[in-house]
Amino acid sequence: MLQRIKFGLKVLLIIIMGGFFHYVLPQHDVVRVTSTEIIRQDFSWYNRMFYAQADSGNVEGTNRDMRLINTVRRKTWIWGFFRRESEEVMVYRNEDTGWIWPPYFKFDSSNLQAESAALAASGGQEQWAVITHYGWRNKLLTVFPNAVSIKPVAGPDVRVIPWFNIFFFSFLVIGWLFLRAAWRQFRERNLDPTLNAIDEHVDAAQDRAQGVWGRFMAWINTWRGKPRV
Amino acid sequence: MGLIRLIIFGFLGMTIAYWLVSWYSRSVRLERLEKEWDADPQGDDAARQAHLDAGMAAYENGFRKKLILLIYVVPVVFVITAFFVTNTN
Repeated sequence: MLQRIKFGLKVLLIIIMGGFFHYVLPQHDVVRVTSTEIIRQDFSWYNRMFYAQADSGNVEGTNRDMRLINTVRRKTWIWGFFRRESEEVMVYRNEDTGWIWPPYFKFDSSNLQAESAALAASGGQEQWAVITHYGWRNKLLTVFPNAVSIKPVAGPDVRVIPWFNIFFFSFLVIGWLFLRAAWRQFRERNLDPTLNAIDEHVDAAQDRAQGVWGRFMAWINTWRGKPRV
Repeated sequence: MGLIRLIIFGFLGMTIAYWLVSWYSRSVRLERLEKEWDADPQGDDAARQAHLDAGMAAYENGFRKKLILLIYVVPVVFVITAFFVTNTN
């Protein structure tokens, strides 16, 4: 039972971590920008956490105007690793993350909106672009992924290598290995000697107690009836 | 305001990382010195302690210890780079 609970907790932890990284880390979509627009977004308690904060120096209200980029994008399989031939519409929000979470340090939302508008108005021919974004699209909660940058490309068949994610996960593995090594070092050099010293103290105390208690119990046992043979 | 918060919490995080790494590095160095001595002892316990003290003093003044200061440098460089990469077109 305890094993099952432990296993369940591990699975839950992996799901939460996976979801967290899937939300926060940058992903690349191949898109055609069709238009840009600004809507007033009314936040609620359950979708507020999926939006950035008000621009630096502004007051945090329950609603504000928000930039959106409307696109048609190539569908993908398995987190964008395999691109498909079919298309779907995708709407991105375009908000500053500022110095706050997640750490994209994005301050150029207006410029990004202008670039997107320029791509949308590209004179009739199909203009493809790679859009870097983080976040999720959720229609039930009215949540959009946040576009971080947009770069025009020649055609829809571009190969984007996620350098940042490669470095990030390598760093994560290194950090994990370091923490494990540090913990082992701490246990070997500091924790175990201390625990052993405590153990010795406890053992010695038990031995002393055994002396008095043992003699007492031996005396009590003399009162007991002896098995008759 | 966000920048100030980033600096404060970033500095706290980097300090914890620096503290952890420097503790680990020192501990590994001391363990190596002890093993060196125990493999080839050249005197009594006092001499052993003197050997360890000399080795640790050399470590404290060494280049390796200064390398750990990169923990403060690299994230700052990363933040500045990320800032410019994101905000220049």
